[in-house]
Amino acid sequence: MRSYRLFLMLILLWSGLPGCFFTDTSVYQTEPVAGDPPNLTVSTNLDTLVDPPVNDSLEVIYGIEVSGGKFYYMFADVGENPVFESDSSSGSFWIRSSLATTAGVDTLMLEIYYSTNTNTLADKVGYDANVEQFKYPVDFNLGGAK
Amino acid sequence: MKRFRMVLLALALLPLTARLISAQGGGGLKISAGIASFRMDDLKSLQKYILSTYPLQGKITSSFPPYTYTSIIYFRQLYDQVRVGGGYSFSTTGGKSSYADYSGRLITEMAATSHRLGAYVAYAVTGGDRLALSLYGTAEANLSSVTVESYYNILTYSNRLYNHYRSVSPTGTIGLEATYSFKSFALGIQAGYLVDLTGRLKNTDNGNELQDPDDPTHVLTSDWSGWIAQATVTIPLR
Repeated sequence: MRSYRLFLMLILLWSGLPGCFFTDTSVYQTEPVAGDPPNLTVSTNLDTLVDPPVNDSLEVIYGIEVSGGKFYYMFADVGENPVFESDSSSGSFWIRSSLATTAGVDTLMLEIYYSTNTNTLADKVGYDANVEQFKYPVDFNLGGAK
Repeated sequence: MKRFRMVLLALALLPLTARLISAQGGGGLKISAGIASFRMDDLKSLQKYILSTYPLQGKITSSFPPYTYTSIIYFRQLYDQVRVGGGYSFSTTGGKSSYADYSGRLITEMAATSHRLGAYVAYAVTGGDRLALSLYGTAEANLSSVTVESYYNILTYSNRLYNHYRSVSPTGTIGLEATYSFKSFALGIQAGYLVDLTGRLKNTDNGNELQDPDDPTHVLTSDWSGWIAQATVTIPLR
């Protein structure tokens, strides 16, 4: 009888063991207050040109300014073809005529990623971004310089 | 080295008490469950440091609070007033810090457990047939296990960092226990203070010591020193 009671007590003790381990299910939840949206300014040497010609190649010089936020990354594509990408807010790259299969006007697209200023966790670690696209028509003169 | 010798001494007490136990008649099993407080100064400071690395102001929701303390001791009645024995005791605590908003969450959980094996002695100061008041003490070898896990889920991104540390240290407890005997068992309460001489925490994967981020010359330890309060059940064994 005594050993039965002892056995029962040990079983009870054993079954209560998981409850002995430390647990804390609480999570500190906040409602972040968003700041003013950042202001994005992009300037290139193509701004004042109308359908600049790409004879052999064309240099694009760019500058990106994000006031009240952070610049993350930029991509440059012509049509479906990637031309350039960078995490630098200023610089230059070349568009080659070999990018185009047919002559004529195509579009250079700059895609700029920058902070949202929502003050969330995603914003602070750079996992959340605003995306803005800028389009510039360029004229591919295949077959050599005019 | 001194700590290592003390751990060995605590373990060496086990066969000695076993010999004493086997030499005498009348004994029993004492099962205790209760709560204990823990100093854990180093781990509390590590928790604060980890929180300071958060990209946003997070919060510590628990920092090594008083938590469970259980033990099981096999003893023999050496003399009318003296009991000796040996046993196992276990305690656990932990800490948690976190930050969460609608874009994601960042959480750090720390869990500490202590497994102790050692010798037990109690001296009945006063008492009658049913009620007894005793002084008790233990000398144990303590194996501490500490896990630190940080993880985040932010939008579609997630990651997890997990580290496991261990330390060995000698511990000792001194306290008072009051028991009331029934026909076939005894119920009691006991309170005491545990002193942990602390052991240096080492990573179980690479053996590296857990350094203090603010002082690289200092190795962090787990410190289980603190007050204990328990309810006890004693079952006599033939």
